[in-house]
Amino acid sequence: MKIRTLYHAVAALAVCTILATSASADDVEVDVHETNVEETAPEAAVDNYVGDYAPGIQRGYGQPDLFYNFYTQGGANRVNAQMYLSPIPVPPNVGHTFYTYQPFYPHHMLYPHKDRFHHQYDCGRGMNRTRALYYYPPARQAASNVYWNFLRIPR
Amino acid sequence: MIHRIILAVGLVTASVAASQTSVTAGDPYGMAQVWSYNFSMNRPWHGNYYNQMHGQPLALIVPPTAHMRQTYSWGVGQNLMYPIHHQYGRSANSPGVAPRGGFHATPRWPSHTDQFGTYYVRGPW
Repeated sequence: MKIRTLYHAVAALAVCTILATSASADDVEVDVHETNVEETAPEAAVDNYVGDYAPGIQRGYGQPDLFYNFYTQGGANRVNAQMYLSPIPVPPNVGHTFYTYQPFYPHHMLYPHKDRFHHQYDCGRGMNRTRALYYYPPARQAASNVYWNFLRIPR
Repeated sequence: MIHRIILAVGLVTASVAASQTSVTAGDPYGMAQVWSYNFSMNRPWHGNYYNQMHGQPLALIVPPTAHMRQTYSWGVGQNLMYPIHHQYGRSANSPGVAPRGGFHATPRWPSHTDQFGTYYVRGPW
């Protein structure tokens, strides 16, 4: 009797997981986790910080742009397109809107994936690591699957 | 009894493993990515027509997981599929804006979907 209940539970679990994770929908949710890693550096010289120069090691720390854009690539284009404020930039007196938080760039919402963003600060002694997870909402996905696979009249 | 427990545990494991298949590009070694990159290096992302609203060919961003585009024209034999090679990248290129007269206008009676001057470019990864 117990094993039969276990079977039912297993079957229900399998159906739920398959319903919740199969097929695709039309929008992606984002889940952002941030961690701050600040190294404790000892007293440094005035001009530079400990770790900037080490014997035999040249270290460079990333200085990413606040807002970076994307462009079409290739050598055969007669015209190139930028991705943000497409197709052409607005005149300077119109003003401009920047996305200053990279995990919320709209092009990440196009497909489910994971991504990581790093930012170095305090002359490279601190690093901010952001992990973003873009995924389809499971409950809404399951409801959508029920509609499109069972309830909808196929026409 | 022990066989049934083993079977149940196996079923649970299989269901969990099957439910965790994430959506990927289906290109584990990046071969299609390399092909698309190589093709896009010596082919333009645009066609010969400009978009009527902007005077330039218009790049329509599609997900980077998109593979193919469909064109429609008069007649069954003109409905063709092409791969989408081009993808947005970080480095800016020139020329940014094409001079006037470099592209054709949409005909008064369009006969092909490429004549509307909107062309797909995949978004960055």
